[in-house]
Amino acid sequence: MATTGDLAERAREEIRRLAEARGHPTDNARLALDRLDQAFAAGELQRTPRLDEAVGDLRLALLQDEGQPLGGKSAEASRFILRAIVRGLEEA
Amino acid sequence: MERLFGRPRPSDDEKRRIPPGQYLTGKWPVLHYGSVPRTDLSTWDFKVWGEVERPLDLSWDAFRELPHTAVHCDIHCVTKWTMLDADFEGVSVATILDLAIPKPTARFALAHCEQGYTANLPLDVLRDEDVLLADTYDHEPLEPEHGYPLRLLVPKRYFWKSAKWIRGLQILDHDAPGFWERYGYHNEGDPWKEERFSER
Repeated sequence: MATTGDLAERAREEIRRLAEARGHPTDNARLALDRLDQAFAAGELQRTPRLDEAVGDLRLALLQDEGQPLGGKSAEASRFILRAIVRGLEEA
Repeated sequence: MERLFGRPRPSDDEKRRIPPGQYLTGKWPVLHYGSVPRTDLSTWDFKVWGEVERPLDLSWDAFRELPHTAVHCDIHCVTKWTMLDADFEGVSVATILDLAIPKPTARFALAHCEQGYTANLPLDVLRDEDVLLADTYDHEPLEPEHGYPLRLLVPKRYFWKSAKWIRGLQILDHDAPGFWERYGYHNEGDPWKEERFSER
């Protein structure tokens, strides 16, 4: 069952706003991931298998070795996976 | 092949080889997420596991000793570029499957790559004669950004299915979406049907 209450709704709204903000998708993704981690840690939202998978995949897309640029598909992956995360927030 | 505004202009014969919605490129673009992985061939291996009678764990030297075959093909990326007349060499996936002996229940495979990348394909597609585990392009080892030391080559599908930096094949009795397929890319990816994206 999804988390309810003001804190949960505020967390969902903030994550949605970060995910859909103007700006570079990889920057949005990092900010949305940070806020999602906070929400999980604070108990505002609960983990789901679908969100855990998407979060894991998004972290892979953002992996960046020292001295190397991110690949060109990191931005597209961020956009696609953020959409999945936003869809999954209602179950969290 | 002439050039038009920096892009090659295809001849009539070449136009027939370019799927709908694609344009011809003369250079091989580099597209991936994350960084280019560094590879140590002394610890590199290639595994086949799952619905097989004989799981495999091949070192680089063992892989290189397998019979190699050449494939001349056209490749098509979902981002709309097509490159004609590409020359790859490698080990036929059918050869690898014959070594591993898929169980009667085996129907699909999930390619596992460095950095957690995955791509799914039916086994009957992987058994096509032009499907390789490719270790050379244009008679040279793959460039790091194009998958060194090994990539899958599946010319009949959009090129995200030709997974770079491949490390193994998981043989399955069911289909399981890969990385891009989970987030909106088409499950089949046939360029001649323009199967770019799903409804997800």
